[in-house]
Amino acid sequence: MERLPRGRHGLSPEFVAQNQRERLIAGLIGALYDVGYQKTTVSLIGQRASVSKSDFYKHFQSKDECFFAAYEAAVEQIREQVVTACAGHEESEWSPRMQDGIAALLACLASDPALASISLVEGLRAGRGVYDRYQAAVESFVPYLRQGAPRAPDGEKVPASTDEAVVGGIASLLGRRVLAGEAERIGELLPDVLEFALTPYLGVTEARRIISAG
Amino acid sequence: MDAMAELCAEQGYEATKIADIVRRARVARKTLYDNFDGKEELFLASFDSAVEDAFGRVEEACKGAEAGWADRVAAGLRAFLAYIAENPAAARVCLVEAISATPTASARYDAAVQRFIELLGRNAPPETGLPDTLEETLVGGVAWILHQRIRRGETEQALDLTPELLDFLLSPYQGVGKSK
Repeated sequence: MERLPRGRHGLSPEFVAQNQRERLIAGLIGALYDVGYQKTTVSLIGQRASVSKSDFYKHFQSKDECFFAAYEAAVEQIREQVVTACAGHEESEWSPRMQDGIAALLACLASDPALASISLVEGLRAGRGVYDRYQAAVESFVPYLRQGAPRAPDGEKVPASTDEAVVGGIASLLGRRVLAGEAERIGELLPDVLEFALTPYLGVTEARRIISAG
Repeated sequence: MDAMAELCAEQGYEATKIADIVRRARVARKTLYDNFDGKEELFLASFDSAVEDAFGRVEEACKGAEAGWADRVAAGLRAFLAYIAENPAAARVCLVEAISATPTASARYDAAVQRFIELLGRNAPPETGLPDTLEETLVGGVAWILHQRIRRGETEQALDLTPELLDFLLSPYQGVGKSK
């Protein structure tokens, strides 16, 4: 991210502030990925963002506050990709919507391992109250799965706990891959993840048929 | 170890102090430090003990079940849910607190999850063509559900989850239709 030119540049204070805030968030995400939560200090974040320590404290009261803001920003970035991919489909086209949404999710994470790390690994493990945010984030993706989902092959409505288990299971799988340093290869998991997501609603035979046709 | 588990369940690992533990356990500080280097070691011992307990019960149940794989998975699941219902503090230590308590605790959690993944793999049908990641994702999904229920204090009703969780675990292996 480019630093603003020094000295008078005629940009509004609000613009400068927003630019700094975004750079600090990006700085934290990068630092977290490189050295982990413990070693990510305000100094390090500031260095990476080219923002002074005193300017850091204009935006955030502490490292944790920056961390929480970065976490939210990361989740929203992922959400935007998924929602955009799903938006091209009618509500009735559940399977194609799921395929595109899940493909977008995996592509987004694979292309940005630092983003994947903060959202799926650090959000879970750093403690400090970020866990509640992780939980809320995962839960917030459940409606994308649930909306317009077909009934199970036996005609019964798929239980709410199944929707949650599908989303939670996928988050867990992807998190484990990121933890193992395999974030860039997450795209390879697409057929597996799709089969896992579609099976409770369509049955395994139909799920596989759709995936191989798609 | 019980005091550690109870306090973690009540207030979380970070907020739990040695002073709280010795008071709850009614032991002297010296006794705690004779047995454990400190808070983390005590936590890890509590975690390890609970995992051995739970895993042992699940394995026993799988072995004791009838020959069919669906019965084995059902027996194992029920044993696990029963463990949670009977030991809510220990369940919380294992499925909630361990993940974020310390880096070593996270690693132990991952290792424990891996054991359950392998156990499921051994007891499920050896059908070819299933995704390699299936057991991993299924265990992750069940852990997520249980994690949420434990955080909400709903451990007593853990066994009520059996039909839904069993269906979730069995349907990829069976294709269409409900499980018993």
